[in-house]
Amino acid sequence: MLRVFFLSCAAVLTLWGGTIQNDEQFKQAVFQMGKENKIVLMMYTTDDCPECAYMKSKVFHDKEVELYMNRHFIVIEKNVHKSKLPDGYDFFGIPTMFFIDKAGNKKETIIGSKRPQPFLGELRRIRGIK
Amino acid sequence: MRGLLLAIVLGITLSAYDAIHLKKALEEKECIGCDLRDANLSRRDFSGGDFHGSDLSKADLRGSIFEMGDFNGCSLRGANAEGAVFWKATLERADLRGMHAKGANFKGVHFNGSDLSRADIRDAKVWKADFTDAILRKTDFRNSEIGGSKFIRNDLHTAKMKNTLLWQTRFSDVVMSKTQCAHAKKEEATVDANVTCR
Repeated sequence: MLRVFFLSCAAVLTLWGGTIQNDEQFKQAVFQMGKENKIVLMMYTTDDCPECAYMKSKVFHDKEVELYMNRHFIVIEKNVHKSKLPDGYDFFGIPTMFFIDKAGNKKETIIGSKRPQPFLGELRRIRGIK
Repeated sequence: MRGLLLAIVLGITLSAYDAIHLKKALEEKECIGCDLRDANLSRRDFSGGDFHGSDLSKADLRGSIFEMGDFNGCSLRGANAEGAVFWKATLERADLRGMHAKGANFKGVHFNGSDLSRADIRDAKVWKADFTDAILRKTDFRNSEIGGSKFIRNDLHTAKMKNTLLWQTRFSDVVMSKTQCAHAKKEEATVDANVTCR
């Protein structure tokens, strides 16, 4: 009986994504930023997503975008087919980019790709959100 | 009284669609081989709906969701699909001439063998779409994201492609203008050796 109970608990824990504050990648990102006040950019992707590939290989590596992102953002990626997704972070399209502050508050969500300059404009706007 | 009769007669004459077909489309979210000309299907969710062989010419589809829908062999000639979502839908061998689809989502859509002459597809998301054998005479793609899509056996030289995102888009056995070819190469598209740039 006890074994069945523990097995049920384990099954529930496996399915439960948990809060963003308990997410290992998020915790690591916050640890990595130390005293700096950076924003976590959590990007949902899939393997078969040309938009995601475009964002990761072109936009994030655009000279101006890369410089700004290195200074103010930390990127974490979650493959929606392979990773546990935190509670409260549902998605309606891929890629979805969530911008989260150090304390785990969602500041903004962007769905879909953007060219480097408009994306940089969005990053600046999001950084300005209190 | 005469005025009322005239209004009724005119109303019957002017409404192009079949009222039973429209009721079916709205209630069951699909309608095969139906007459939906000029019908109002705007701002509704028709995800997974089967409309193949239907006539949706000049229909109002603004802001509606047709994810994974079947529009094979349909006519959407002159339809207004601004902001509509056709994610992974099939629009093969369809008449899409003059369709207004500014800002629409055509990600993963199959346009194989369709006629998109003079269609307005500006500012649209068209990632990973398939345009094999499609007619693209004066199709307006300006400012659209067409990355990862396939253009095979098309004549594109009259299509408007200014400021389109063409990253990893494949062009094969296609006729393009020199400006389009230069833009495609700059955008890191794959331009096969059999592409004519003139």
